Amino acid sequence: MDSEMETIEQGVLGHLMALERGGMGQQDQQESQRLEMLKIRAMSLRAKRDQLKHQTDAVKILKDKISKDLPLADGDAAGGFTELKKSLLTAWRMQLKDLQRAHHLIGGYDLVECKEGKSVCVSFHTAFEGVYLETYNMELDLTRTVQISRHNIPPSFPLESFAKQNLQKDLKTFLQTLNQNLNALAARRQQVCLLKELVGSVEVMESNQLCNILVLMCTAQGETPKAVLCTLEYGDLTQCLPTRVSIECEDKTLSESPQWKKNQSLLLESPAHAALLTMRRMGSIA
Amino acid sequence: MEQKYEEEIQMLEQEIEMLEAEQEETLRSIFIEHGDRLQQELKSVCEERGGAQKHALSKLITEVRELEKDLRRQTEINGIALNECFVKTLHKSERKLVQQLRLAGHCSVLLFQVEFAVTEIQEDDALLRRVTELNIVVDGVEFKDFSAFVSRFPIWRKSRLHNRLHNIKVVEDTKDLLLFFRTLRTFSERCEERRQTFQHFQEKYPDVVSLPEGCRSELMIIRSPQLPGISMTIFWKIDVSMEGVIKPRLELLLKIPDQAREFDTKKVTENGSEYFQSLLRILGVEASIEGLIRTVCL
Repeated sequence: MDSEMETIEQGVLGHLMALERGGMGQQDQQESQRLEMLKIRAMSLRAKRDQLKHQTDAVKILKDKISKDLPLADGDAAGGFTELKKSLLTAWRMQLKDLQRAHHLIGGYDLVECKEGKSVCVSFHTAFEGVYLETYNMELDLTRTVQISRHNIPPSFPLESFAKQNLQKDLKTFLQTLNQNLNALAARRQQVCLLKELVGSVEVMESNQLCNILVLMCTAQGETPKAVLCTLEYGDLTQCLPTRVSIECEDKTLSESPQWKKNQSLLLESPAHAALLTMRRMGSIA
Repeated sequence: MEQKYEEEIQMLEQEIEMLEAEQEETLRSIFIEHGDRLQQELKSVCEERGGAQKHALSKLITEVRELEKDLRRQTEINGIALNECFVKTLHKSERKLVQQLRLAGHCSVLLFQVEFAVTEIQEDDALLRRVTELNIVVDGVEFKDFSAFVSRFPIWRKSRLHNRLHNIKVVEDTKDLLLFFRTLRTFSERCEERRQTFQHFQEKYPDVVSLPEGCRSELMIIRSPQLPGISMTIFWKIDVSMEGVIKPRLELLLKIPDQAREFDTKKVTENGSEYFQSLLRILGVEASIEGLIRTVCL
């Protein structure tokens, strides 16, 4: 009986030990697999690094040769010469891509020919005070006459009238006019966003899609705070500053005061959000 | 053991990133310093066809050709030619890119150099981009008129007369890169109109019309050899406001000798400039100038 128990115990223990060994073996297996993978990855990275180092050194030597005005084709093995040309062409390609990006960043039209030259796509990039805003796109069909086939310019924008003026006779002028007007629109719109964000105490009573009118309600500081209505009219849609500013207040002495005459000038000469921030800083408004 | 490999892998990845950046920089610098010469040499490579050697490069060559073609298109439609372009990447990560760019080029005959830094941040599905620094140098006889506009940028204007850089007082530092180029283009067009008109009249009436400061300047003098002492000077200014509004403005200055003043009963010398403004409004620039010239062509 005892021996039977012993055998059973041995069996159970043995079984448990076998299981343990087996488990560890799997872990071991997994570990060694992972190790293998890491080893392989390290090896391939090392190879890549070495290749890169070799290339980088070759490029540096190339640069040196070019600086010293040495002949590039140095009687190298054909393979070497190809490598050289490859590096140069790669450099040239990089420079060309940089130039493309530069044109893009300075507000170029990024003109792209589509449909084998039957149409072109242009982009109008807008920005205000260094912040890039919306980009509008347009496809122009060039088959018989120049036609606008697709665009994402807001419907309130007088695209048709600009097209009528210039599209057929002078494409560049058409693009320039659109560019100017779209940028002015983006600038006016951005000013409204900025003033809502930065000058929470001022309420926008009226504004529209074309942002050619802006009515603001400010609270004038004083013994009793008074409501002042500022109406900014943007008569010139190529500009982001108003052409007319009127100040209205129940208290006529306030609206006629030198302080508010000054505020009126501020609103005429600087972007709305900047003017209001100044007015707040000077204690004129809340 | 594992850790050792992991550390090595991390180190290798960093090294690779560095080497790639280094190679990029070196390649860029090769082109910056020797671009013109290399382009000449490579042009022949690109024009050759066939050959087993070329096969390896044909994809690159095609790409370069396409890029050159595209660049010509952009230059033409944008009206801005970029001769130099230095790009330095200060920071590059998955969501953020900071670059410094230095560009030099011309818009028709107006030269410019622009240095700016741009930061791009990828936020969800929107790309936020802003110009964080901006410096501008302009050169050209025409930029005399540019002063109000340039005062909004940190601009240094090269003056041919003094041959040194003038630091123009910065009134507003707005970093409006796009506004600068838009304004430059329009300004350049107005200057070109002026130049063509002046040149046209000088060629048509060489005895009577003179351009003492050249056809790119703002003044034209009308004088007849038969009428000594009498001259009409036209000042054709192109004003650029601080907001980039461009307004050509023509003015007339009449000069007659003192003895002739007695005969000026209709007070032409006094009112001449006003009459000229009316003339401009009715007939436009070319016809008005032609009219003035005709008066002295006896």
